[in-house]
Amino acid sequence: MKTDRFDKILWLLLGTVLVALTLLLWQGQHREGALARGNNRAMERELANQARVVLLQKLYGPVEELRQKGELQNALLKLDELSRQYPGEAHGYILQGEILQQMGVLDAALASYVAGIRLNGTYVDRNTPLSQRDALQRLVAAGERDIAPKAKANPNNRSLATALANLNYLKSRLAGGCE
Amino acid sequence: MPLKDRHFWVVILAGLALGILGVLLSVWGNPANSGICVSCFIENSAGALGLHNNVRMQYLRPELIGFILGALASALIGREFRSRGGSSPLLRLVGGIFLIIGCSVFIGCPIKLLLRLSAGDLTAVAGVIGLVCGVWLGAKGAVSGVELGSQRAEPSGSGLVMPFLFLLLLAFLIIRPDFINFSTDGSGTEAAPWQWALAAGGLLGVLAQRSQFCITGSIRDIFLVGRRSYLHWGLGAFVLSALALNVATGRLHPGLYGQPGAHLDHLWSFLGMALVGWISVLIGGCPFRQMIKAGEGNTDAGLVVVGMFIGGAVSQSWGIAATAAGVPLYGKAAVLTGLAFVLAVSLMLRRREG
Repeated sequence: MKTDRFDKILWLLLGTVLVALTLLLWQGQHREGALARGNNRAMERELANQARVVLLQKLYGPVEELRQKGELQNALLKLDELSRQYPGEAHGYILQGEILQQMGVLDAALASYVAGIRLNGTYVDRNTPLSQRDALQRLVAAGERDIAPKAKANPNNRSLATALANLNYLKSRLAGGCE
Repeated sequence: MPLKDRHFWVVILAGLALGILGVLLSVWGNPANSGICVSCFIENSAGALGLHNNVRMQYLRPELIGFILGALASALIGREFRSRGGSSPLLRLVGGIFLIIGCSVFIGCPIKLLLRLSAGDLTAVAGVIGLVCGVWLGAKGAVSGVELGSQRAEPSGSGLVMPFLFLLLLAFLIIRPDFINFSTDGSGTEAAPWQWALAAGGLLGVLAQRSQFCITGSIRDIFLVGRRSYLHWGLGAFVLSALALNVATGRLHPGLYGQPGAHLDHLWSFLGMALVGWISVLIGGCPFRQMIKAGEGNTDAGLVVVGMFIGGAVSQSWGIAATAAGVPLYGKAAVLTGLAFVLAVSLMLRRREG
């Protein structure tokens, strides 16, 4: 390949631009702390997560108190009130699922958990402050014992079929894979 | 069995490597049954680049970078690197978008389809049938004169653009600049160590470039040339090695329900994969093969890869992608739109005699 003067100019300019880019990035890294900004961003996410946990504890604290006192019906009423104030908040559905499971209403508990997890998958993750993985595994095991055989015996029962579909959804989410 | 042909053994090796690494990458940290999934990885990488806002699906997957750079290295060493393109580029770009839409409705590319099946996920059966039907329709179209036009040689630099862009992504993966997103929870955080993933991707890139292995290409060849092609041997080696390793690592869970990253909308699994199979034949390869071709200088395949990134972005942003809960309305509409696209293209581009 022949290299003429124009090629030489292009090579020279390319070299200059690449050197300038390297210097710019190198200087920018040191002056503006681009790397540190990256770390700050990770920290911002962490802080936002922690703030969310604290806010949820504050918002849903009264429900927890009622639950611990054994006033499950009142806890559900309080949750209902909160869900009108904060519609679409996953935590309310998760708490509702926990209470309904405590009351032994498995199919409704499954539906609540599914609604919550579809809104926010964090509850299935391992090692997150809001993780409900262990509770979900217990619920799925109970559902396998109670709901699955009933649904099999009554294939035309639509509410049992819905409960089974919810059970399968939770099993699939617990099994992992891409979302 | 052509035991004395070197290419036969390269194809077998590529199939074995795909099956073994497809399971091992899951063992090393990738999501269950997603050791290798081009469409999932593209959705993750599109998220990392800020093209969609699903914060649980953002990670620059090193395997994709490995595929392209491995194919580039192999093509350069084997003197097979050729810059070429110009065959209906815009149609290929749109085809790339629908390729990923079909995959996201099924939840996985053709490689993941077989990985899911080899792990006992029986919901994948509908996808296998769909893929075979789609490939059959594509092959039927090819025989009947549907083609996107011929490619021509391009200046050598144009074929290097896509490898260069992926080299840039590698730099982003290592340096992790502020504008690249990385999930802090969800499946975007489930990943094998990046060095291993990159090495595995690179090895597969080399083997796939040497062998020209392709899932949909293997099925297409069975329809078009029968046993004369070796690719179906690679397909068999892939499925058997993945099955054996899933059994050995305790990952075989046969069943229809509660499978990881799967849903029970069988009709849409079928249609999603039928769309993928049909488009793959039309544009000359499955998503994995498109990445390999992009690495060896094919700029048309490079545009398909760009289209696949757009597809990954819209799948997540527009609520197209299926989840364990099933296929959303927009996902169903997108698959039907994709089928309409491929039918219209087949009608318009068909060369009729007389």
